[in-house]
Amino acid sequence: MNMNSDELKLKRLLEDWRVAPVVERAFRTGVWTRIERGRGVAGWVSFVRGHAMVCAMVLGLALGAGAWTGRERARIGVELERAAMLTSYVSALDARSMKMP
Amino acid sequence: MKNWLIMLSFALAVAVGAFAFFFVINDQPELRRAARARDAMQWLRVEYRLNDAQWASIKQLHEAYDEVCERHCAAILAARERAAPTAEVAALERVCVDGMTTHFKQVAALMPAGQGERYLAMVLPKVVGYDHAGAPTVRVQR
Repeated sequence: MNMNSDELKLKRLLEDWRVAPVVERAFRTGVWTRIERGRGVAGWVSFVRGHAMVCAMVLGLALGAGAWTGRERARIGVELERAAMLTSYVSALDARSMKMP
Repeated sequence: MKNWLIMLSFALAVAVGAFAFFFVINDQPELRRAARARDAMQWLRVEYRLNDAQWASIKQLHEAYDEVCERHCAAILAARERAAPTAEVAALERVCVDGMTTHFKQVAALMPAGQGERYLAMVLPKVVGYDHAGAPTVRVQR
Protein backbone atom coordinates (compact mmCIF):
# COMPACT_ATOMS: atom_id res chain seq x y z
CA MET A 1 0.00 0.00 0.00
CA ASN A 2 1.37 3.28 -1.07
CA MET A 3 0.53 5.97 1.48
CA ASN A 4 1.66 9.51 1.45
CA SER A 5 2.77 11.23 4.65
CA ASP A 6 -0.61 12.90 5.38
CA GLU A 7 -2.48 9.63 5.13
CA LEU A 8 0.09 8.00 7.34
CA LYS A 9 -0.34 10.72 9.96
CA LEU A 10 -4.10 10.31 9.84
CA LYS A 11 -3.81 6.53 10.15
CA ARG A 12 -1.62 6.88 13.24
CA LEU A 13 -3.92 9.48 14.74
CA LEU A 14 -6.91 7.22 14.27
CA GLU A 15 -5.03 4.27 15.75
CA ASP A 16 -4.13 6.31 18.82
CA TRP A 17 -7.58 7.84 19.25
CA ARG A 18 -9.56 6.36 22.08
CA VAL A 19 -13.08 7.41 22.78
CA ALA A 20 -13.91 7.65 26.45
CA PRO A 21 -17.65 8.26 26.63
CA VAL A 22 -19.08 9.65 29.86
CA VAL A 23 -21.74 7.35 31.19
CA GLU A 24 -24.92 9.30 31.75
CA ARG A 25 -26.99 7.28 34.18
CA ALA A 26 -30.20 9.22 33.59
CA PHE A 27 -29.94 9.03 29.83
CA ARG A 28 -32.66 6.44 29.35
CA THR A 29 -35.02 8.13 31.82
CA GLY A 30 -34.39 11.47 30.14
CA VAL A 31 -35.27 10.06 26.75
CA TRP A 32 -38.54 8.63 28.07
CA THR A 33 -39.40 11.86 29.85
CA ARG A 34 -38.96 13.80 26.63
CA ILE A 35 -41.03 11.28 24.71
CA GLU A 36 -43.84 11.47 27.30
CA ARG A 37 -43.72 15.25 27.33
CA GLY A 38 -44.03 15.31 23.56
CA ARG A 39 -46.93 12.89 23.78
CA GLY A 40 -48.65 15.15 26.37
CA VAL A 41 -48.42 18.27 24.23
CA ALA A 42 -49.43 16.37 21.13
CA GLY A 43 -52.32 14.86 23.11
CA TRP A 44 -53.57 18.24 24.24
CA VAL A 45 -53.18 19.73 20.77
CA SER A 46 -55.13 16.85 19.25
CA PHE A 47 -57.75 17.25 22.01
CA VAL A 48 -58.14 20.94 21.09
CA ARG A 49 -58.38 20.01 17.43
CA GLY A 50 -60.99 17.44 18.23
CA HIS A 51 -63.06 19.95 20.22
CA ALA A 52 -62.23 23.02 18.18
CA MET A 53 -65.67 24.61 18.39
CA VAL A 54 -66.08 24.20 22.14
CA CYS A 55 -62.51 25.31 22.83
CA ALA A 56 -62.92 28.36 20.60
CA MET A 57 -66.13 29.24 22.42
CA VAL A 58 -64.56 28.84 25.85
CA LEU A 59 -61.56 30.96 24.88
CA GLY A 60 -63.73 33.57 23.19
CA LEU A 61 -65.96 33.74 26.24
CA ALA A 62 -62.96 34.06 28.56
CA LEU A 63 -61.45 36.77 26.39
CA GLY A 64 -64.73 38.68 26.15
CA ALA A 65 -65.54 38.37 29.85
CA GLY A 66 -62.03 39.41 30.88
CA ALA A 67 -61.99 42.37 28.48
CA TRP A 68 -65.44 43.60 29.46
CA THR A 69 -64.81 43.22 33.19
CA GLY A 70 -61.46 44.99 32.94
CA ARG A 71 -62.92 47.86 30.94
CA GLU A 72 -65.93 48.27 33.24
CA ARG A 73 -63.83 48.04 36.40
CA ALA A 74 -61.56 50.83 35.14
CA ARG A 75 -64.46 52.94 33.87
CA ILE A 76 -66.48 52.68 37.09
CA GLY A 77 -63.40 53.46 39.18
CA VAL A 78 -62.65 56.58 37.15
CA GLU A 79 -66.32 57.66 37.19
CA LEU A 80 -66.54 57.36 40.97
CA GLU A 81 -63.35 59.36 41.51
CA ARG A 82 -64.52 61.95 38.98
CA ALA A 83 -67.95 62.34 40.60
CA ALA A 84 -66.44 62.77 44.06
CA MET A 85 -63.93 65.31 42.75
CA LEU A 86 -66.60 67.24 40.88
CA THR A 87 -68.83 67.47 43.95
CA SER A 88 -65.96 68.62 46.11
CA TYR A 89 -64.81 71.14 43.48
CA VAL A 90 -68.23 72.77 43.05
CA SER A 91 -68.99 72.70 46.78
CA ALA A 92 -65.74 74.47 47.55
CA LEU A 93 -66.84 77.38 45.37
CA ASP A 94 -70.44 77.35 46.55
CA ALA A 95 -71.05 79.83 49.37
CA ARG A 96 -74.40 78.17 50.10
CA SER A 97 -72.59 75.06 51.32
CA MET A 98 -70.46 76.91 53.87
CA LYS A 99 -71.34 76.28 57.48
CA MET A 100 -70.96 78.46 60.54
CA PRO A 101 -67.80 77.59 62.50
CA MET B 1 -60.62 15.30 32.10
CA LYS B 2 -56.99 16.41 32.37
CA ASN B 3 -57.24 18.06 28.95
CA TRP B 4 -60.36 19.96 30.01
CA LEU B 5 -58.59 21.19 33.12
CA ILE B 6 -55.66 22.39 31.02
CA MET B 7 -58.12 24.05 28.66
CA LEU B 8 -59.95 25.81 31.51
CA SER B 9 -56.67 26.95 33.07
CA PHE B 10 -55.64 28.35 29.71
CA ALA B 11 -59.01 30.11 29.37
CA LEU B 12 -58.60 31.54 32.88
CA ALA B 13 -55.16 32.86 31.97
CA VAL B 14 -56.63 34.45 28.82
CA ALA B 15 -59.39 36.07 30.88
CA VAL B 16 -56.93 37.45 33.43
CA GLY B 17 -54.70 38.77 30.64
CA ALA B 18 -57.65 40.42 28.87
CA PHE B 19 -58.85 41.94 32.15
CA ALA B 20 -55.43 43.42 32.89
CA PHE B 21 -54.98 44.75 29.36
CA PHE B 22 -58.40 46.40 29.12
CA PHE B 23 -58.16 47.73 32.68
CA VAL B 24 -54.86 49.42 31.90
CA ILE B 25 -55.97 50.95 28.59
CA ASN B 26 -59.23 52.28 30.09
CA ASP B 27 -57.82 53.50 33.38
CA GLN B 28 -56.84 57.15 33.92
CA PRO B 29 -54.28 56.94 36.70
CA GLU B 30 -53.36 60.64 36.57
CA LEU B 31 -56.98 61.69 37.00
CA ARG B 32 -57.48 59.20 39.82
CA ARG B 33 -54.35 60.44 41.57
CA ALA B 34 -55.56 64.06 41.40
CA ALA B 35 -59.04 63.07 42.58
CA ARG B 36 -57.70 61.03 45.49
CA ALA B 37 -55.48 63.91 46.55
CA ARG B 38 -58.54 66.21 46.26
CA ASP B 39 -56.32 68.47 44.16
CA ALA B 40 -58.93 70.40 42.18
CA MET B 41 -56.51 72.34 40.02
CA GLN B 42 -54.57 69.22 39.02
CA TRP B 43 -57.87 67.46 38.37
CA LEU B 44 -59.01 70.30 36.08
CA ARG B 45 -55.73 70.12 34.22
CA VAL B 46 -55.96 66.39 33.58
CA GLU B 47 -59.73 66.15 33.11
CA TYR B 48 -59.98 68.97 30.57
CA ARG B 49 -56.55 68.55 28.97
CA LEU B 50 -55.36 72.04 29.80
CA ASN B 51 -52.00 73.29 28.61
CA ASP B 52 -49.73 75.28 30.92
CA ALA B 53 -51.05 78.69 29.79
CA GLN B 54 -54.72 77.67 30.11
CA TRP B 55 -54.06 76.07 33.47
CA ALA B 56 -52.28 79.19 34.79
CA SER B 57 -55.10 81.48 33.60
CA ILE B 58 -57.76 79.27 35.18
CA LYS B 59 -55.81 79.08 38.42
CA GLN B 60 -55.62 82.88 38.49
CA LEU B 61 -59.34 83.11 37.82
CA HIS B 62 -60.08 80.71 40.67
CA GLU B 63 -57.88 82.67 43.05
CA ALA B 64 -59.66 85.89 42.11
CA TYR B 65 -63.05 84.24 42.55
CA ASP B 66 -62.04 82.97 45.98
CA GLU B 67 -62.40 86.50 47.36
CA VAL B 68 -65.81 86.93 45.74
CA CYS B 69 -66.87 83.56 47.11
CA GLU B 70 -65.73 84.53 50.60
CA ARG B 71 -67.83 87.73 50.44
CA HIS B 72 -70.89 85.75 49.36
CA CYS B 73 -70.23 83.22 52.06
CA ALA B 74 -69.88 85.86 54.76
CA ALA B 75 -73.11 87.57 53.66
CA ILE B 76 -75.10 84.32 53.64
CA LEU B 77 -73.70 83.23 57.01
CA ALA B 78 -74.43 86.62 58.55
CA ALA B 79 -77.99 86.53 57.25
CA ARG B 80 -78.51 83.02 58.61
CA GLU B 81 -76.98 83.97 61.95
CA ARG B 82 -79.32 86.87 62.52
CA ALA B 83 -82.23 84.71 61.28
CA ALA B 84 -82.93 87.03 58.37
CA PRO B 85 -86.17 86.58 56.40
CA THR B 86 -86.14 83.64 53.99
CA ALA B 87 -86.51 85.98 51.01
CA GLU B 88 -83.35 87.84 52.00
CA VAL B 89 -81.32 84.63 52.36
CA ALA B 90 -82.74 83.38 49.06
CA ALA B 91 -81.71 86.65 47.35
CA LEU B 92 -78.16 86.31 48.72
CA GLU B 93 -78.05 82.72 47.55
CA ARG B 94 -79.26 83.89 44.14
CA VAL B 95 -76.32 86.32 43.98
CA CYS B 96 -74.02 83.45 44.91
CA VAL B 97 -75.45 81.18 42.20
CA ASP B 98 -75.21 83.91 39.56
CA GLY B 99 -71.62 84.65 40.57
CA MET B 100 -70.68 80.98 40.41
CA THR B 101 -72.37 80.51 37.05
CA THR B 102 -70.53 83.49 35.59
CA HIS B 103 -67.27 82.23 37.05
CA PHE B 104 -67.75 78.75 35.59
CA LYS B 105 -68.54 80.24 32.19
CA GLN B 106 -65.36 82.33 32.34
CA VAL B 107 -63.36 79.21 33.24
CA ALA B 108 -65.01 77.28 30.39
CA ALA B 109 -64.07 80.04 27.94
CA LEU B 110 -60.39 79.49 28.78
CA MET B 111 -60.55 75.76 28.08
CA PRO B 112 -59.70 74.04 24.80
CA ALA B 113 -62.43 73.72 22.17
CA GLY B 114 -65.03 71.17 23.20
CA GLN B 115 -63.71 70.88 26.76
CA GLY B 116 -65.42 74.08 27.92
CA GLU B 117 -68.83 72.73 26.96
CA ARG B 118 -68.08 69.45 28.68
CA TYR B 119 -66.97 71.33 31.80
CA LEU B 120 -70.18 73.38 31.92
CA ALA B 121 -72.27 70.26 31.33
CA MET B 122 -70.62 68.74 34.39
CA VAL B 123 -70.54 71.67 36.83
CA LEU B 124 -73.77 73.58 36.13
CA PRO B 125 -76.13 70.73 37.08
CA LYS B 126 -74.29 70.56 40.43
CA VAL B 127 -75.03 74.26 41.01
CA VAL B 128 -78.67 73.89 40.04
CA GLY B 129 -79.14 70.63 41.92
CA TYR B 130 -77.66 71.91 45.16
CA ASP B 131 -79.12 70.26 48.23
CA HIS B 132 -79.03 72.19 51.50
CA ALA B 133 -79.25 68.97 53.48
CA GLY B 134 -75.84 67.60 52.55
CA ALA B 135 -73.43 70.50 52.63
CA PRO B 136 -69.84 69.40 52.14
CA THR B 137 -67.04 71.58 53.49
CA VAL B 138 -64.11 70.51 51.33
CA ARG B 139 -62.00 73.41 50.10
CA VAL B 140 -60.38 73.55 46.68
CA GLN B 141 -56.65 72.96 46.99
CA ARG B 142 -54.36 75.32 45.17
